Amino acid sequence: MRGFTHYISGLAAATFFAALVGDLRLGILIPVIAAAAAYFPDFVDFKFGKFLARRDYEIDPAPWDEKKHYAPKLVKISELSEENRYQFFAIEGTVEGILVKGSGKVSYRVLREDGSEETVTESYNSIVFTLNDGTGKITVEAFGDDYEFFEEEFGKIEEGKKLLVFGYVDVEEDGSLKLVVSDAPHPQGIADTIAKAIEEAYREGERIVKIHNIRLPGDVYRRFWVHLDPPKREVRVEMGPIVTPGGVAIGGDVPEYRKYGIAKVGVPFIKTYPKPTRIDSFSGPEIAFRRAQFKGKTVVKDRFLPWHHGFSHSLTMGMIIGLVVFAFFRLIGYEHATELALASMIGQWLHVFEDQLGFMGSNLLPPITKDVVPGFKLGESGSGLTNFSTAWLMIAFMIWNFNRFTNPRAIPISDAKLLLLLAWPSIMGFGIAIVRSFRLRKEISELMDYYTNLEAFEEMEEVGGI
Amino acid sequence: MLPLSELLIWSLAGVLFGALISWIPGFHIFNIMALLVAVFGVGELMPVQAFPFFAIGAIVAYAYVSAISSVYFSVADESAVFLLFPTQRYLLLGRGHEAVLLYLIGAVAGTLFLVIGALFIFPRVLPPIYQATSPYITYFLVAIVVFMFMSEWPKEGDRGRTPAERLWLAWRQILGGVLVFFLSGILGFVVMNTNLLPTTSAYTRLTPMFIGFFGMSWVILNILSNPPMLEQVPDDRVESGLYNTLKASFGGALGGTIAAVYPIITGGMGALVAGHMTSQRGDDAFIISQGVNRVIYYVGAFTLLFLPQLRLTRGAAAWLVSSIYTPKSYAEYLAAIGVILLSAGISFIFTYYLSRFLAKSFNVVHIKKLSYVVAVTLVVISYLLTGPMGLAVLFVSTAIGLMAAAFNTRRSYCLGGLILPVLISMTGHTGYFMHLLGLG
Repeated sequence: MRGFTHYISGLAAATFFAALVGDLRLGILIPVIAAAAAYFPDFVDFKFGKFLARRDYEIDPAPWDEKKHYAPKLVKISELSEENRYQFFAIEGTVEGILVKGSGKVSYRVLREDGSEETVTESYNSIVFTLNDGTGKITVEAFGDDYEFFEEEFGKIEEGKKLLVFGYVDVEEDGSLKLVVSDAPHPQGIADTIAKAIEEAYREGERIVKIHNIRLPGDVYRRFWVHLDPPKREVRVEMGPIVTPGGVAIGGDVPEYRKYGIAKVGVPFIKTYPKPTRIDSFSGPEIAFRRAQFKGKTVVKDRFLPWHHGFSHSLTMGMIIGLVVFAFFRLIGYEHATELALASMIGQWLHVFEDQLGFMGSNLLPPITKDVVPGFKLGESGSGLTNFSTAWLMIAFMIWNFNRFTNPRAIPISDAKLLLLLAWPSIMGFGIAIVRSFRLRKEISELMDYYTNLEAFEEMEEVGGI
Repeated sequence: MLPLSELLIWSLAGVLFGALISWIPGFHIFNIMALLVAVFGVGELMPVQAFPFFAIGAIVAYAYVSAISSVYFSVADESAVFLLFPTQRYLLLGRGHEAVLLYLIGAVAGTLFLVIGALFIFPRVLPPIYQATSPYITYFLVAIVVFMFMSEWPKEGDRGRTPAERLWLAWRQILGGVLVFFLSGILGFVVMNTNLLPTTSAYTRLTPMFIGFFGMSWVILNILSNPPMLEQVPDDRVESGLYNTLKASFGGALGGTIAAVYPIITGGMGALVAGHMTSQRGDDAFIISQGVNRVIYYVGAFTLLFLPQLRLTRGAAAWLVSSIYTPKSYAEYLAAIGVILLSAGISFIFTYYLSRFLAKSFNVVHIKKLSYVVAVTLVVISYLLTGPMGLAVLFVSTAIGLMAAAFNTRRSYCLGGLILPVLISMTGHTGYFMHLLGLG
């Protein structure tokens, strides 16, 4: 659920206590603590946990320019190394010599939407030249669609011409570096690193990968998807279009020959969330790969945002919050410290319960429970329907409580009738969500069958020799 | 009540007045109306009973036509040091006219929501709900403020080299927002509770502060960023789905209603709450919901002044009008709803054609030059309304508005200038804070 849905649940929780409602009427605003307590789990995770969490691998396909806060970063040639392979940079330098200018035909494999592969043959034009920026020399290559763009941008290339050229870094067979003209990083680097992390997790127990997003000038983002395919034992990364922070695609699709990165994984793994991970605006995700048992076999399981929905999202934490609130407010002499502590605990528990309606689930009662209890899959956390239904229900509860704790009542009808009148939009919303969830569960079940197809799993095991 | 012909004339005069000034960046209809009253007075040029209808025409026009200034005259440079509003992004992509059309879709939806609500729902539902919840307004207000702080999304920090550095980068922005809120609050407290500004400016004492927070700082950013004047596509084309439009309209209506009914809660705060409640996502949805939200927030809030069983005074325009004349009958309420529909139709056509004209001739006058003219005008308005000390307030509030942009935090933190002093007053601590600040 979204933050405000949790927050308003805490606000509503406080109104179930007549003493706290009485305080509010007198202008004593302390009960707002219950709302803060209800939001506390996300506050802790997103304001602290996210930044303090361990990262074993940091994938930054397009490092930011430190002053402008977007990619591509202007770098010196001497700063580049093999570690920068597939990353997106800009280099400013002088053309030192033109090595090749040619044309021909090229064949490459592309992945269709149905998962099949196809070989495509295309004509191409290309240019290869050396660029010197005073700190070193690098080979620059423009090819195919990127050549067209390059020619349009720079016109005729001659020795001595100054250029600011951007593209991704690649490594030649002899180990030397080159810059391939492009408007995006190559996805192969992302796929390779994730595959490596999964294999290491299988041996070592856990690896956490941070994937940064790609921010471009004008506050737009290059979208890409990370797709884990357990039956094929592949990590596939697909470069997508440029999108606004609101998710509207504004073009800039990359050519097919640098759209996909595919890395084979030598160990069995399963995916717990049946959709590809999409990375675009705001920040990129962290994914933990953990060794686990699945149907009697050792596999690697993924866990999205490993710092989220941990201890902060447990019922245990709710009890701790209740105790701390009680102790503090009793100490400062607040008359209704007990009611406030209970409201705060219930507010935090409502947060845990509301999140449990979604997919991620939480570790509910640590230290008694050790792992996450899967969610009820009523809807995704961003679902407008479930968020609105929950938030509206809380508003209904608040109005209802304010009314029944006021004498004479502002709305002079029976409590049951008033609650029904207020809450009907939520009742309808939850009804639709429940009906939808059956369909969703069926789809998920089919997808999970695909992801954990044991026949393919066994076959791959033989191939992989595990 | 005025005869219908006069009522129509004054309403149309209001629409014309609102339309002519609302496209100019930094101008706010409330400030200009206050200036009008201060300079010309009411009762001589127009009958006092006509003023509410003149105001409603002007406010409807503002709710529609101000889309022009927020789309075309709040452009950013390519460096995008600051995060952009969706409308600014549309402009940078040459789709400014599309952004205006999306806004207009929202504005029309907002008008329909408002008119249907005003005719069939508000008179029955609003009075009991308001009566049940009004003793707890401070609770809602402080809750929204706390949520604003707690939910600030750290836009930086991901790329820090160490956990400590990441944490600092994230919290630098959050703390920047807190600082902006409290600095605005202190300024607002001083302006409201001292005789810094002349007593003759009783109705306009907050004007220079708000011009600085939102108008002047915006205009200065336009000047500093020297944005490119990109060619715009004047085609009547929008990319958005029906579901997205309906969802955005609903969210906008919810946020606008919250802001319209409850005091101090502004359209932006209402949008924040409703956006979370309905889980809005997408630039198109954002712009549509802004259109709905602004119509209901500005026009709806003012309409409450006409609602006989409730008659709430919400917003600066309502206070200004109610100080001169308060509508009393159902006939006036129904006439107001009619005026809203009429004004909305005219404002829609005006905004649409103005947007097409601007899209075609966007790069004729550079925004930087226009911004210089507006900056001087805003200074003149502040001086006329509040004298030399008003200019000092304008200077300080502009600096605070620019701080919000520099810290990359929500500009709405500047509303601390209104929220903090009101909260202090509501909780009975004004004297204590006066003493704390050495003011009394």
